[in-house]
This record gives sequence, structure tokens and C-alpha cells, in this order.
Amino acid sequence: MSEENPAKNHQFEVVMVGAGPSALAAAVYTTRENIETILLEKGAIGGLAAVTDLVDNYPGFEQGVAGLELAQKLQAQAERFGAKIELTEVMAIEDQGQIKLVKTADGDYQARAVLIATGSDYKKIGVPGETEYYGRGVHYCATCDGAFYNDKRLVVVGGGNSAAQESLFLTRFASHIDILIRSDWRASDVLIEEIERHPKIIVHKGITTDEIAGENNQVTKVIGTNQANSQRVEFPTDGVFVFVGLSPNTGFLKDSPIELDERGFIMTDENLKTSMPGVFAAGDVRSGATMQIASAVGEGATAALKIREYLEGRQNF
Amino acid sequence: MSKKITIYTTNNCAYCVMVKKYLTSKGHVYEEVNVELDPARRQEAIELSGAMTVPVTVVIDDRGQRDITIGANYGKLASALA
Repeated sequence: MSEENPAKNHQFEVVMVGAGPSALAAAVYTTRENIETILLEKGAIGGLAAVTDLVDNYPGFEQGVAGLELAQKLQAQAERFGAKIELTEVMAIEDQGQIKLVKTADGDYQARAVLIATGSDYKKIGVPGETEYYGRGVHYCATCDGAFYNDKRLVVVGGGNSAAQESLFLTRFASHIDILIRSDWRASDVLIEEIERHPKIIVHKGITTDEIAGENNQVTKVIGTNQANSQRVEFPTDGVFVFVGLSPNTGFLKDSPIELDERGFIMTDENLKTSMPGVFAAGDVRSGATMQIASAVGEGATAALKIREYLEGRQNF
Repeated sequence: MSKKITIYTTNNCAYCVMVKKYLTSKGHVYEEVNVELDPARRQEAIELSGAMTVPVTVVIDDRGQRDITIGANYGKLASALA
């Protein structure tokens, strides 16, 4: 990252929107081919991987790797070959024929090709109290905010790998954790086994989360329904961490001709091309993605090779 | 104009790392308060931001005006630091 504003000074062969594992992997490939590349990130370099406590299923790390450490290694590798990374938010992508205009909060970037790899964020549950207590008892980042709950009770909502892994992280701080799962686990068996033998955690399956309630500006309980008997259930708590699935980061494409699926993920063909010529998509933001870091990295490499093919024979800046 | 910058962080917070990188890349010096290592100052972060979350970045200008940014909001930080 540099002090000058590159938007004012440069055109780039490739602009990558996002700097998660997929874009960072793609940038390793493009920059090794001397294709000038910039990545534009509005949140954390490494994306959701960076805020994950432990990544245990990424090949090459026999003991697992901290998400933040993996993100920093991916960043260092991409930067070693010359990738530039700027912290700014992309507002829109305009097709101007051979040139794509990437509009950001800090100015416009011109590119001959664009890779959208903006990933996804944790979904909201959409229940009363969730917005009201956001940041004051309702959280979506355990590695950020878990430390505020030393010796406190917590509720974790969700039954996937993120809910399981982040619950284990939160046991460093919390005195007790209730995990509420709407139906049944969708997490890996190895995580489920660790959770179910953990003395601080109780798992409640078949429980919907209906409301997050509080008093005096503080969360005090989660109210749900037991699906088996339709009875109301309450879980006293000091805070709630929510991991109920992923929502694509495609809000900036809402007025764009780039085609999205019914859930807002980007449609691509088998070459990772979107419906806008010269614009590719890879990783969690792509319709049909497996939401795995290893897959995102693989798609990033594929996208880079397809971008190289696309750029061949086209006029340089 | 000199500005005093304080960032409240925790050990494993990726967004905290990013905000520190952002400040450094723009040539700013800051004080870091790790509320996980310094629990006595945790309440200070909560009172400043009204939230139990990090990063919280406090920018005080030379007239004593205070601007508080919660999270990795680079647009807001840019305005506060301008």
C-alpha cells in the first residue's frame, strides 16, 4: 500500500475488486506474467479467511493455520511479484468497450480486464433486536469482539463450519456457550466432535432464533422456538455471535448489466467470464462457488489464466 | 495540523491490522490500545464508541474535536484525517 493515490496516476492492465484469497491467488499469477495488477479492498485483506480463527482444511498446513496468518502470507506473496493493494470501496464498474472503468470512493481506475472477487459476508438472521443491539451484544466477528466477553455467557447462532470453529475460539473467553441450530449440524465431523466434548458448550438442535432481547441497552437473552414441540425457549446471555450462512458482496453491481443469480451471486461461464466482456468473477461471490478457501484460490488461478488469454492480442495502454 | 490518533484493538482482529496498515500507509502515527492485553481500558473503548467492538479509531484534532470511527471504514477515516 502506498501513500500516493494510484487512481490519479495509473491505468492498470487488471483491476481486481476485493483482496481475499481468490484475488490474491489470481494476482500472484498475473503479476508473475508482468501484467500490471491492482487489488481494491474495502474491508480486510484476506476477506473472511482473515477473520477466521483457525483454517484447518487448507492444504499444506498440517496443524492448520490462523486465518490472519494465511491472509498475510497470501498478501506477501502477491506483493512480492508486484501486486498493488489499495484500501478503498468500489462503487461501480462501467463497460467502455476495450476499457473498463472501475469507480471507487477515491477516484476512477481504468483497466483492460477486471476480476470481481469480493467474496461474501455473514448473513443477518433478520430477527427483532439484531439491528438494535449490533455491536452492543450482537456480533459477526468472533476474532474481533470475543475478548469483550471474558467470563460471560454467549449464544452462537448457526450450525455450519464457521459457527463451530468460532464457538471453539470463543471458549477462550466465555464461561458458557449455547449453540442454537435451526435444524442439524452442517459442519465437519471433526469440528462437531470437538464441540460436543467441550465442557463450556451446549448444543441445541431444532431451535429457531426468533428474537434477541435486552434491558438497559444490553442483551440479556435469546428467545427461540423448539421445533419439536413449538414451545418458546429462552437462553440467558450477555452476547450473541451470528454465523448463519453467507451473503454475496455484490451490492455495488445492483445497477450493473452484470448478471446475478436469484440470490445475488455473479453468474459466470466455465471460463469464469461474466456477462460483461472483459470482466471475470472468482471465489465465494460466484454463483455455484463451494465457499472454501482452497476452491477460491483455485478459481483465482483459473481466472488469471483466462484473463491472460483475454488480454493476448489486445492493445496495451 | 497535528492530530492525535488512538486505535483500540484486540489480539486476533484482522480489521484492526488493516486500519493500522491504512494509517501507516498514509503516514500517520497512532497510539494502539489493545483492550485484550489492557482490560482496564476496555471500558474506555466501550464508552467512546458505544459498542463492544474493535477496531475503534479516535482522531482528535488540534482544536480538541473528536471523531470516532468504528470498524474498517476507510472513507470515514480519510475524512477524519483530512
